[in-house]
Amino acid sequence: MKRTLPPHLLLRFFRWFCHPKLLKYIEGDLMELYSERLKEKGKRTADLRFIFDVLLLFRPSIIKPTEGYKNLNSYGMLKNYLKISWRNLLKQKMYSFVKIGGFAVGVAACLLIALFIKDELSYDQHYANHKKLFRVLGVISEDGASKKGVAFPAPMASALKEDFPEIVETGRYNNSELFGAGSSEVRVADKPDNAYDEGFVYFDQSLVNMLQLKFIYGNPEKALSEPNAIVITKRKSDKYFPGENPVGKLLVINDQADRTYTIGGVIEDFKPTSHLQFDFLIGMVGLEFWKDEQQYWGASNYATYVLVEEGTDIPSFEAKLSNQILENYFLPMMLEEGQSEADARKFFKDTNAHMEMQPIDQVHLYSFGVDDSLVHGDIRIVWLFGGIALFILLIAAINFINLSTAKSANRAKEVGLRKVSGSFRINIINQFLSESVMFSLISFVLGLMIALLTLPYFNMISGKSIVIPWTYWWFTPSLLVLSVFVGIIAGIYPSFYLSSFMPIQVLKGNLTQGAKSSPLRSTLVIFQFTMSIILIISTMVIYRQMNFILNTKIGFEKDQVVLLQGTNTLKSQVVTLAEELRSLPGVVNVSNGDYIPVRGSKRNGNSFWNEGKVNIDPGVQSQFWRIDPFYLNTLGIKLVEGRDFNSDLASDSSAIIINERMAKELGGDLLGKRITNYAGLWTVIGIVEDFHFESLRENIIPLGLVLGQEASVLAVKLNTENMSDNISAIGHVWEKFAPHQPMRYNFLDDRYAAMYDDVQRMGKIFTSFSVLAIVVACLGLFALSAFTVEQRGKEISVRLILGASVNSVFQLLTWNFVKLVVIAFAIATPIGWYLMTKWLQDYVYKTELGWDIFAVAGSMAILIALITISYQSLKAAWMKPITNLRSE
Amino acid sequence: MKQQSLGEFEELVLLMVAALHDEAYGVAILENLELKLEKKVNISAIHVALKRIEDKGFVKSRFGGITEDRGGRRKKFYTITALGKKMLDIQYELRASIYQQIPKISFG
Repeated sequence: MKRTLPPHLLLRFFRWFCHPKLLKYIEGDLMELYSERLKEKGKRTADLRFIFDVLLLFRPSIIKPTEGYKNLNSYGMLKNYLKISWRNLLKQKMYSFVKIGGFAVGVAACLLIALFIKDELSYDQHYANHKKLFRVLGVISEDGASKKGVAFPAPMASALKEDFPEIVETGRYNNSELFGAGSSEVRVADKPDNAYDEGFVYFDQSLVNMLQLKFIYGNPEKALSEPNAIVITKRKSDKYFPGENPVGKLLVINDQADRTYTIGGVIEDFKPTSHLQFDFLIGMVGLEFWKDEQQYWGASNYATYVLVEEGTDIPSFEAKLSNQILENYFLPMMLEEGQSEADARKFFKDTNAHMEMQPIDQVHLYSFGVDDSLVHGDIRIVWLFGGIALFILLIAAINFINLSTAKSANRAKEVGLRKVSGSFRINIINQFLSESVMFSLISFVLGLMIALLTLPYFNMISGKSIVIPWTYWWFTPSLLVLSVFVGIIAGIYPSFYLSSFMPIQVLKGNLTQGAKSSPLRSTLVIFQFTMSIILIISTMVIYRQMNFILNTKIGFEKDQVVLLQGTNTLKSQVVTLAEELRSLPGVVNVSNGDYIPVRGSKRNGNSFWNEGKVNIDPGVQSQFWRIDPFYLNTLGIKLVEGRDFNSDLASDSSAIIINERMAKELGGDLLGKRITNYAGLWTVIGIVEDFHFESLRENIIPLGLVLGQEASVLAVKLNTENMSDNISAIGHVWEKFAPHQPMRYNFLDDRYAAMYDDVQRMGKIFTSFSVLAIVVACLGLFALSAFTVEQRGKEISVRLILGASVNSVFQLLTWNFVKLVVIAFAIATPIGWYLMTKWLQDYVYKTELGWDIFAVAGSMAILIALITISYQSLKAAWMKPITNLRSE
Repeated sequence: MKQQSLGEFEELVLLMVAALHDEAYGVAILENLELKLEKKVNISAIHVALKRIEDKGFVKSRFGGITEDRGGRRKKFYTITALGKKMLDIQYELRASIYQQIPKISFG
């Protein structure tokens, strides 16, 4: 008999919406009613009543919940997973500490470095036009090395703007000390006291427009368009004109009262993430440093920036620009100066002279080897740090994997039981993944706290002012996502491994998988120690190079020399001041000169020729310094031949002392001969030993010293160790001469060490990282050795009972691990050697990469590892055998 | 503990579950209620009330066997729990005691 059924569609609708738990018997009731009504009242009424009933059942307590009723179940399972994980964590405190602690350290390192990298990458992104703004670089190859510079002739900016339709605007700045930029004594016009300040620069109005500097006071369009206009930053405005609008006020620089600067505007401070960091922008309208300087193509002193049209193809434009500028401007200039066209073209060709356009948002990180006297980051450092952070995290993750698989024996029964009670493999995988995510979350929270605590220290050694960006919306979510992600990555292998156990075997009790030292675990330990040893080697090489720099013979005496700054305001009185200082008991000698042999001092690049060879020979690129007769003596520079300057000899005003390098470049026996440069003809009276007046990264270049006066630095050589007495004596003399200007001084050896701040910083950072890496790796090793001892406890006891010595048991337990560290050392040595050779290539003068570094690094790693393992091994070897055997 | 509430219709259903003792399932309750109340009752109302009093713990349920006329679906039988019975007693006493207070005089 075929049954009459209720309306199919309605029944399906009911089955769809009804809560699955209620479905079956309500449907049963509906069917029963339907069949009754069908008998009594016929199909039509039964159908109608059925429809009516179903629609009335469509109410909240009957409809199934939207989130799915099954959620309840798997939530319960998850709760169980987490509970079991938490109990395991508490049960094995030491292993949990190693897993979580190591992870947290890795996370903290990664977090700090990620913030560091983010900061480095954010440089110059805030300039509105940063995609269309470029800095022009001049590139010349000499002796196989390419030199990049930013200085160009004054008229190049306007030439670029006129000749190339692609260029919308050009602007220049000049921060050369030679022109009075850099640091100066400054005062408000109607006040007498000078203050020292830095950050002076000559700046075009057009560059202000291009960078769209934000003005607080003054008209951005016209702030620098009057002669002698100056724009200052907010912080300097607050310093000199607290609480007022200084526009229209006058500033006096270096006590030149006859030439005041009118403040045209106040700008916001340059952001810390700007490659340009200036405080006083001096306008260049009507400014000429010598006659026709602004039209002269023979001197390069201006950094030039260009704003290009949207969509300009930079590589082809670069080539076109190089060609035309060289052809139309540099070539005529060289011809005018007497070179033949063939020579000039040969020079262009030999040196592959060309120009490049550097996007300004790449200036900070991609300016390695660019001579621009700005402070740079380095993209290689960014990569290096990123790599190191990743390595530390990796080492921590390896601990996690190693310990999870090693301790698997303890979890095997659990896995077996779960499988027997109906768990699928995927459930077990989920369990261990959620466990590792839980570990990862805890580690992230801990890591965040560690990062927070170590942030001040990190800022100190990295020279940044990083804060943790709590307030940004992306910070917390991305940390969360990351921690889950890292947890899953670290948990994948252990969870697949643990879930692969066969229930029958593990429940029967013959599980030895975890106990064997698996090849994978050994590989991972080797990897950890390879990383650590590389870091140790790097740290040692960096420190050795630093030591080399600080202790190498540099050709002058940098110790006990005080540099008094800002003496230029004293004008001719400076000579009298020097005389008085010289009469002080503690003072050996005093020299007045700006050209101090450390980087960042005044420099003056020039070409020299032998007499009569100008424009016939190629000039020798040299430094040309004006000093006083006491310079060599004060700084302890040794004469190799000839004599020092004698202020009593009038003829010495055209005498020159050169360094050995200059003598070599010009050739021949030069003593008594005459050489020449733009400033005149000079008789060589002496040759000094080469001394390092720039960083040891560079070769010593030729140098010519002639007499000159009135400089802003007095170098005072002291004879005793008693510095403070001498300084206060000097202070008394200073006060007589410059009552309105506080004495400002620093020490030559400090300035020298400051040149290598970056190396010291690198050293500190590497030390921290290698300590971190080795600590995390050792934590892992410690836990692994503890585990081995635990596993082999019975075996060791039996050995001891049968007469094994403590020594042999110790060897048995340690040798396996030491072997791994030795292999790691063998791998790390060539890698470390290669990396450090690369790093040392930056230095012309460098330390040797001796075998002892590797020996020390290797034995250190082995020793640390041995100490780490010894604790557990000795504990096992000294234990009473009975304690282990009694348990059964 | 908060006083459990029992709505009017819920009380009727609960009473019927108690009265039918071990034979109470959706359709039986429906038919008996219709008989007593002498009006149509909707099956959905019965099920909602049953679910509520079960959640409150006044009834418990078990599944019966499969019968042909229900399209192969089980019946769900309800029985009253001790708590349910107590609730009914409370309700009954409440009503009785208030009823006792009605002065005889009013309806002469």
